[in-house]
Amino acid sequence: MLPSVNRLLSLFVRDIGNTTRPHIPLRFSRTLSTLNQESQPAGDNVLGEEGTGRLSLPLMTEREIKHPNPYIKPRLAWLETLGQIENKKLGIINLHPDIFATFPRLDIIHNNVLWQQTYRRIDYATTKTRAEVQGSKKKPWPQKGQNKARHGHRRSPLWKGGGVAKGPRGPRSYFFMLPTGKRVMGLRATLTCKYAQDNLHIVDSLDIPQDDPEYLQELIEHRNWGLSVLFVDDDDIMPENIILATDPIGHFNVMPVYGLNVYSMLKHETLVLTLRAVEKIEERLLHFMHKPGPLNQKWQAGNVGSFRRKSWV
Amino acid sequence: MANMWSGVEKAIRMIKKMPRVQITNVKDNTSKGRKSKMRRGQHGGDKCGRGNKGQGQRNNRPRLGFEGGNSPFYLRIPKEPYYKGHFLKKEYPPFSLLQLQRAIDLYRIDDSQPIDLAVLCNTKLYQMDVDLRHYGVHLTEEGFDLFQAQINIEVQWASEAAIAAVESRGGVITTRFYDPESLRALVNPVTFFKRGVPIPRCKLPPMELLDYYSDPKNRGYLSDPDLIKKERFELSQKYGYSLPEVPYNEMLLLRKDPRQVFYGLQPGWVVNLRDRVILKPKDPEIKQYYEDRLEAKSV
Repeated sequence: MLPSVNRLLSLFVRDIGNTTRPHIPLRFSRTLSTLNQESQPAGDNVLGEEGTGRLSLPLMTEREIKHPNPYIKPRLAWLETLGQIENKKLGIINLHPDIFATFPRLDIIHNNVLWQQTYRRIDYATTKTRAEVQGSKKKPWPQKGQNKARHGHRRSPLWKGGGVAKGPRGPRSYFFMLPTGKRVMGLRATLTCKYAQDNLHIVDSLDIPQDDPEYLQELIEHRNWGLSVLFVDDDDIMPENIILATDPIGHFNVMPVYGLNVYSMLKHETLVLTLRAVEKIEERLLHFMHKPGPLNQKWQAGNVGSFRRKSWV
Repeated sequence: MANMWSGVEKAIRMIKKMPRVQITNVKDNTSKGRKSKMRRGQHGGDKCGRGNKGQGQRNNRPRLGFEGGNSPFYLRIPKEPYYKGHFLKKEYPPFSLLQLQRAIDLYRIDDSQPIDLAVLCNTKLYQMDVDLRHYGVHLTEEGFDLFQAQINIEVQWASEAAIAAVESRGGVITTRFYDPESLRALVNPVTFFKRGVPIPRCKLPPMELLDYYSDPKNRGYLSDPDLIKKERFELSQKYGYSLPEVPYNEMLLLRKDPRQVFYGLQPGWVVNLRDRVILKPKDPEIKQYYEDRLEAKSV
């Protein structure tokens, strides 16, 4: 059994070594009973096909959802794997409806996109005023009696080569912080759109058997994942093969959960999340949705560094 | 009525049929926005809706309340004596027994620990601002019949019925004064500790509050414990309940020293949250200042 599958099973199935079947919602019990008849659970190879290291049949995996919504059922998604080209399903998992099936607020998504494009902008346009332009500050000619217009300064904005009146002044920062509520809602709305439009795929891990970019290209073409794909893992230390395979291709990118953002999700056609990434995303977003007290902290330009290190929204 | 979808469900179904949501096709809700009063081109020098000359255009209006030469209203009526010094009066934002019970039921307050102002403010269900002359919490009797918890609570002001409600459940209530500096520390301890200053030595109540806090009827923290015991019994007789016999409970016996601000921390200590250490004063003079207890003063 591959380590990734082991990891997955230890996450979702109780007592792998035990012969008791995993706790599964009632409506899926039929699927499970066929599963139990066909693959006889014993020892470590309970649910695996011998030799292949992969699961033989689709397996319902159970996941504990925090802050469940009593009125909306959890959404379901296939659990896939990047281990082979053909799309073999490992199981079905449930997703939190407040995150993957919330109202697709396109206006809030737009606010987030605009914020991401704007907050890091620095306008370097600058012009010199009459005081800063080089030149004499002497009165060019007397006030009266020259038959010429009166002037007090050769670098006045009226003169050629003079200073600029009311021009742009110096580097100007466009930094601002979108309210936390809007950022959280933007992520929820984007994840909802991705899920609703079948552009969201959940995989067990980012392990691929080889570091060849062609393998990944073939896999994505076979599964119809479109031109650009964003792979998201929970941590920034990722399997070597996926890094090497995505590196030469500009439109396949990898990202840790703390870097996940609305702009990148929309930029890529398909979003691929690992299970651990899903866990972490849900945990962080639910934390902010159910946090007591005011949601917004005071944001200043200097706080951004610590904000990035400490928390992710 | 098979197709009773919620708005969310409808929207998601609509999104499914639409092209992929991308950077280029999302837009904000349209709003008209505010148009500039100044028009453009040859109309740039117009009046901009401000009329012709005078106060309206120059914005040099008379002062607030001015009635064009008449005696203004605020001077015409006589003074109300009971409003004298209203801007100096102490305020106690209320928190009811009902709210307290609800917070306990929702696990926002742990009733197995003594409850003080720091606990209440930490729930974010209760807000107070020291700068608005808020001097702490007033425990009100709303929810008298619903109150169930057995607690050890410290408030700044309490009504008689609120005291009766807490005591009829076997709980303990104390009224306690904090000076503004100590209040600031209590309301937001983390911000206070980050300042890196020692925990203040709480001041005694001012003259006008001394009576309140040394009265056993109010369960004042400066009153005689024996008299409080007597008053507890008298209040139970008045409200018609018998004081429950509570088994020995260390939590219920916990009280702060009159000079103490936080449970478990003494005045003069500095709490360093980053290194997770507590720094205690060593200098004998400083130590003496902070250890200068109430008893020593009265001798």
